Amino acid sequence: MAVHNRVAATDQARPEQDSGTRSFSSRVVCVATGFAALIATSALLHALFPPAIPAGVAAKLKFFTEHKNEFDTLFVGTSAIYYSVSPEIFDRTTRESGLPTRSFNFGIDAMHPPENFYVLEQILKTKPRNLKWVFLETADVQTKLHQELGTERAVYWHDWPRTALTLRKALDPRGGAKWYIKISRLWLARRDLATHLALFAKRFANVGRFDFLSSHRDRADTAESELGPKRDGYRLAGDAMSAENAASFQKRLAQEITGARPKQIDPYANEAYRNYARQIRQIGAEPFFVVTPLIFQSPISFRESPPGPLLAFNDGKTYPMLFDPKVRIDDAHLTREGAEEFTRLLAQEFVRRARRP
Amino acid sequence: MLFVEFRFFWFFLAVFAVYWSLRRNDSRKIWLLICSYIFYAAWNWKFVFLLMASSALDYVVGLMMTRSKTRGARRGWLIVSLCGNLGTLAFFKYCNFFISSAAALLEWLGLPASVHTLNIIIPVGVSFYTFHSMSYTIDVYRGKMRAVSSLLDVACFIGFFPQMVAGPIVRASAFLPQLRSLRKFSDVDVRGALVLFLTGFIKKACIADAVAPFADRYFAAPWNFTAASAWVGVLFYAIQIYCDFSGYTDMAIACARLLGYELPINFRFPYFAQNISDFWHRWHISLSSWLRDYLYIPLGGNRGPRWFTYRNIMITMLLGGLWHGGAWTFVIWGGLHGTALVLHREWVRLIEQRPQAHAIMRWLAWPLTVYWVCVAWIFFRAVDLPHALPALRSFVFFQSAGTEDLGTWMLWLVAVFAIVHWLNSLGWFSEWWRRAPTPAFAAGYGCAAAVVLLFVPPHYTPFIYFQF
Repeated sequence: MAVHNRVAATDQARPEQDSGTRSFSSRVVCVATGFAALIATSALLHALFPPAIPAGVAAKLKFFTEHKNEFDTLFVGTSAIYYSVSPEIFDRTTRESGLPTRSFNFGIDAMHPPENFYVLEQILKTKPRNLKWVFLETADVQTKLHQELGTERAVYWHDWPRTALTLRKALDPRGGAKWYIKISRLWLARRDLATHLALFAKRFANVGRFDFLSSHRDRADTAESELGPKRDGYRLAGDAMSAENAASFQKRLAQEITGARPKQIDPYANEAYRNYARQIRQIGAEPFFVVTPLIFQSPISFRESPPGPLLAFNDGKTYPMLFDPKVRIDDAHLTREGAEEFTRLLAQEFVRRARRP
Repeated sequence: MLFVEFRFFWFFLAVFAVYWSLRRNDSRKIWLLICSYIFYAAWNWKFVFLLMASSALDYVVGLMMTRSKTRGARRGWLIVSLCGNLGTLAFFKYCNFFISSAAALLEWLGLPASVHTLNIIIPVGVSFYTFHSMSYTIDVYRGKMRAVSSLLDVACFIGFFPQMVAGPIVRASAFLPQLRSLRKFSDVDVRGALVLFLTGFIKKACIADAVAPFADRYFAAPWNFTAASAWVGVLFYAIQIYCDFSGYTDMAIACARLLGYELPINFRFPYFAQNISDFWHRWHISLSSWLRDYLYIPLGGNRGPRWFTYRNIMITMLLGGLWHGGAWTFVIWGGLHGTALVLHREWVRLIEQRPQAHAIMRWLAWPLTVYWVCVAWIFFRAVDLPHALPALRSFVFFQSAGTEDLGTWMLWLVAVFAIVHWLNSLGWFSEWWRRAPTPAFAAGYGCAAAVVLLFVPPHYTPFIYFQF
C-alpha cells in the first residue's frame, strides 16, 4: 500500500537511469508501449467481462431475460412510462377488446434517448420468441446528463454508437450543418463533448466493473423495488400535486396549448428510431411509438413517414382527463387514477391501430 | 480537479510536456505558476486572487525583514505576516465556529443571543498554503534562510499545484532552493514516480472510494446500526482516511517528482505504530513536524517541568485538531491524541525500571494504539457530538439499540487490507519493478493500469483533506 515509503527510501541511492530512456525516441517508444498495453489490456478485459449495468436497469433486464418468452408486449421508456403504464390494466383492456396481450413495463427513471436505445438493444439480444409489440417512448436525443443519477448510470450505455450519436447531436443539434458550423460549435459544446468522451473512455477502460462493494450495497435492495409489487415492472409514482402547483400547472398548460406548433423529432432520434424499428421487425415484432401525456403540447412527428404507428397523448384538448390536476403529480407523471386512465386509453388506441390493415 | 480524474491526466500531460520542453528555468517556473493557478481556478477562480495576495504578502514581508535593521522591526513584519495568514484562516475557516460557539456560551450563561453565521465558502487548501507561506516568513525571521528576491519563486512555492491543496506541507527552506536550479530530466526517477502515482491512485480510487460509502452510511445515522456495524463503520473510516490522504500525498509527490521536485514524505505505515508518539512520527508527518517546529518548541517544548511539557503537548494537539476545521469534534480529536501523548510519556517514565512491563507492552502496545486512534477517528469523522456519542458507545461499549446491519462479513476485508499493508511494509512490492527492462516496465505499467481501473468506482469522491 505505501510503496512510496520504499520508493522514497531509495532516493538517497537512486539507481542509474536506464540507458533506454536517455534518448527522446526511446522515451517516445516507451510511452507508446505503455499506452498500447493499456489499450490492449482494456480491450481484452472489455471483451471478457460484461458491462457493469446499474442496479435498476440490471434488475429489469435480468427479470426479462429469465421470463422473456412469457411476454408478447413491452414498454420501453422513461419514468413517464414506468409510473404510468400498468401492464395489468393494459392486458385486461386488450383482453376485453379481443386482442389479448401479456405485457411488461421496461420503463426506467430518466431513460431518455440514447440510453433507451442501448437498453432496447440488450433486450432484443435476448431474442424473445413471443414478442409481438414493442412500445417505444418517443423523444429527442438528450445530450445533458442527469447528475443526480450518478456516474455509474451514465457510463454503461456510452458505447461508441451511442456516444457518437450524442456527440453528433451536441455539435449539430438540428442536423445538416456545414462542417465549419460544427467546428464553431466545438467551443459551445465543449462541456458536453468532454463529458461524453470521458464516459466513453471510462466504459472502454472498464472503470467500475469490479466495484463489488458498491454492487453489494445497491443491488439487493434495488432489484425487488424496481420490478414493482406485481413484478410486471410497473410502480406508482405518488400523490396528486398540491393546489398551488395545480394552479401553476393549469396556467402553463393553457400557454402550451395556445402556443403548440407541430414539431419534428431531431434527425438523430429519427434515424435511430427507424433503425430500431427495423431491428424489432427482424425478430418478428411490431414497433409502436408513444408520446406520453406531457405538458409539452406540440404535436410530434417523425421526419418523412413514421417508422411505425405513433400514439401521441400530449394533447390536452383530446385527452382532458389526463391533464386534470387531480390525476397529475407533475408535468410528466400521473397518479394511480391517471396512470390507469392513460393505460386504458393506450390499450384501446393500440387495439384500434393493431387491427388496422 | 482531482488527481484521479481523466481531465487531470490530460492536464498533467500538457504541464509535463511543455515544462520539459522549455530550456530556461524562469520560463519553466512561469509555466508552472500559470498551470498551478489554472489547477486552482478549476475549483473556484475567484480564490486564485487570495492565493496571489498571500504570496505577495509573504514576499514583501520576507524582503522587509531582510532590510529591517532592528529585531523589533523584524518582529513587526513577522506579525504582519502572521496576521495576514492566520487572519485569512480565521475568517474563512473559523468565523462561523467562533460565532456559533459564542452564541452557545451566551445561551448557556442564560443570555440568549440572536446571532447569524456567515455564508462563507472555505477556499480549498487554505490551511495548507497558509502554513507553507508562514514557514517562509518564520524561517526568514529566525535567520534560518535568506529572503527570496524573486516573487516568482515565492509564488511558485506557495502555489505549486501538486502540494497546494492538500499537502504535504512543504517548508520554504526545503523547496525554494530546488526552484533556484534548472531541473534535469535525467535526474528524475521516472519509474519510481510512476509506480508511486499508481500506488496512490490504487489507495485513493480503489480502496478509499470503495469503502467510503459504508463509512458515510454509518456516520450519517450511527444509532440505526448494530454494535458490530460500528466496528465496520469505524474501521472502514480508518482505512478510508489513510488511503485517501496518503494516496493523495503519493500522487502529489509523484507529480512533483516527474517535474523534478522532491516533496517530503507524509506517511510511514502509521497503523503499525507501537505507541501514540510513534503514530505521530508516521501520520501526516509534515503537519506534526510543522506543529513541533513552529508551535510546540516556541511554546517551550519539553524544556521545563513535566506539567509544562504536558501543557505544551495539549496546546499543540488541541490547535492541531482545530487546524482541521472549526468544529468541537476536531478539538476533541486533538484532545484525545494530546491526552494519549501525555499518558504515554507518563507510562514510559513509570515502566522505565520494570523490564517485565516492557514484555507485556510489546504485545499490548500495537492494538492499544490502533484502538485509541480509531476511537479518536469517531470524533474526527462525526459531523457533530450527537452523531459521535452513539458511535462511541457502540464501538467502545458494544451498546446500540440499532438493528441495521452494515455488512459485518466485510470485516474480513480489513484483515485483507492489513495483510497487504504489512507485506508492503516488509518491502515485498518495493523494488522488483526496477529490474525490468524499460519497454517491459512500460508494457507492464500499462497492463497494471488497465487492471486497476476495473476496481475503480465510476464516480469521483473528493479527497477528505481538500475540505481542510
